[in-house]
Amino acid sequence: MSNKNNKSAQESVKENTRASSLLDFDDDDPLGATAVSKKSLVIFFLIDTSGSMKGKKMGELNTVMEELIPEIRRVGEADTDVKIAVLTFSTDIAWMYSIPISIEEFEWSRLEASGVTSMGAAFQELSARMSRNSFLNSPSLSFAPVIFLMTDGYPSDDYREGLKALQSNSWYKFGLKAALGIGNEANDEMLAEFTGSKDTVVHAYSGGQLAQMIKVVAVTASQIGSKSMTLSDETNKELTEEDVMTAKQKMLGQQIQELVKQDDSNDVSFDTGW
Amino acid sequence: MFNGFSHSVIGQSHVLRNLVCQDSSSHEVNENYAVAVVADGHGSKKHFRSHIGSASAVEATLETIAKFYKDPDDFEEKFLRDSRLVTRSIEKQILCVWNDKIMKHLEENPITREERGPFTLDEFDKIPPASYYGTTLIVAVMGKNFSFGFQIGDGSLVAVYDDGETVMPIEDDESAPANVTASICNSNAIGLFKMFRIDSRPLLALFTSTDGLYTSFGSDNDFLDYHTIIASQLPDIETFEPSIVKNMTKRTHFGTEDDISFSCAYNKDLVAEKAQVLVDKVAENKQKAAERKAKLLNRM
Repeated sequence: MSNKNNKSAQESVKENTRASSLLDFDDDDPLGATAVSKKSLVIFFLIDTSGSMKGKKMGELNTVMEELIPEIRRVGEADTDVKIAVLTFSTDIAWMYSIPISIEEFEWSRLEASGVTSMGAAFQELSARMSRNSFLNSPSLSFAPVIFLMTDGYPSDDYREGLKALQSNSWYKFGLKAALGIGNEANDEMLAEFTGSKDTVVHAYSGGQLAQMIKVVAVTASQIGSKSMTLSDETNKELTEEDVMTAKQKMLGQQIQELVKQDDSNDVSFDTGW
Repeated sequence: MFNGFSHSVIGQSHVLRNLVCQDSSSHEVNENYAVAVVADGHGSKKHFRSHIGSASAVEATLETIAKFYKDPDDFEEKFLRDSRLVTRSIEKQILCVWNDKIMKHLEENPITREERGPFTLDEFDKIPPASYYGTTLIVAVMGKNFSFGFQIGDGSLVAVYDDGETVMPIEDDESAPANVTASICNSNAIGLFKMFRIDSRPLLALFTSTDGLYTSFGSDNDFLDYHTIIASQLPDIETFEPSIVKNMTKRTHFGTEDDISFSCAYNKDLVAEKAQVLVDKVAENKQKAAERKAKLLNRM
């Protein structure tokens, strides 16, 4: 006895499709114990919590991140489950939660600053966790991750070793990367090494700018990161997945630069007043 | 002794874009064995006949397994002697039969102007004809003294043991979203198959599914628990089957919007005998899922 399903499946599917408006998906589904997952996206925040971030910078960052969560929630609510993972680095490195947490359940834990800037170690840790066997193990993971680095100074360890590890990680290669330098000491050249492009590096010199830049970068990156892009362009030429990710990274750079030009914050610089 | 079922539902994204279902599925049951097979046609631009390719792969599989099982005693003896060699022979034979089928289809249905339209002459000439029909293939065979399975490309194989333990017998490779799936149309396809064999423990059921099902789950645990729940309902599958199809439709509607195919081969007698074990396992899994969720929200 055999039972083939293709044409017959399409016919029965048509029945399903026609019936879909009648199907009440909220009814008692005996298989409902295992929930349906939407397409998912993980946003990694790498945050410098070294001693130089102490005071207004860290205070402002904590406030902005608390405000940012509902905004990112709105990005994902249509058809993407956005998950957040926060890695802080100072003398030691630490994850805020043991695994990426759905934005619906994520609560910001206020951070404190002290110690030196172990950015290379943070890169190594991120590379180790960006794996199917670790943080990126959700079957519903459909998009390459968004990786957002925020720092106010130069690494105190060998960041290049860590960056080398990251650069060999395929999730990093295809991920959307952005960086925010905080205050005068942040090195934009080094941040561009991390993101792969100067266009995706922004700088905040004051509390107002910090709030604005974090929101601009995080929300824009989440929107682009969770966008399903077609695999053919306007010339109908078939694009590879690599082309799509390159196009997304370019789009992120362009949008960030446009939004940065609109910066109208006019408050006191971290390095003069704060 | 054996039974099975199979279903394919069109992906929500295909419905919206007025495309056909690229998946195919089937099962075959007789006194010597049961087969569960699914195939996922690639569906992208150069694989413009992949729905035919997936149907051909499913047919080629059923025909090939039947041929190998023509003398069941001889087949079982050879398989137990060298399962890898026999499985490789089956895979090779499927590739040959699939190639014959698609080439016959191509001969009887020459490329149309519409199919050629999206490509320049040069682009089209560079596409190997087998690519028009590109598909994955996932196969599970349940025999009297052993079970085995193999796959090429994305998709899942799940086995349920007689104590209710549910496993994926083929390990998933590390892959990023940008990686391209292996395909039956690749020139090196024979080297891309992965296989398993189980003869050490009694098996209740084997499931195959295309990746549209797996990607609609938040975790491997949920995915495996789903199969345990279905295994617990196999004694009354006629009543339960509509719920499975409805759930597949729900998964493509709210999940990754891909086509979903799902096929099962099971030991009817053993499933009936172990019905309570499975019901208990489902309750245990539910408890563990609640514990996992509570643990998940703990901060570092």
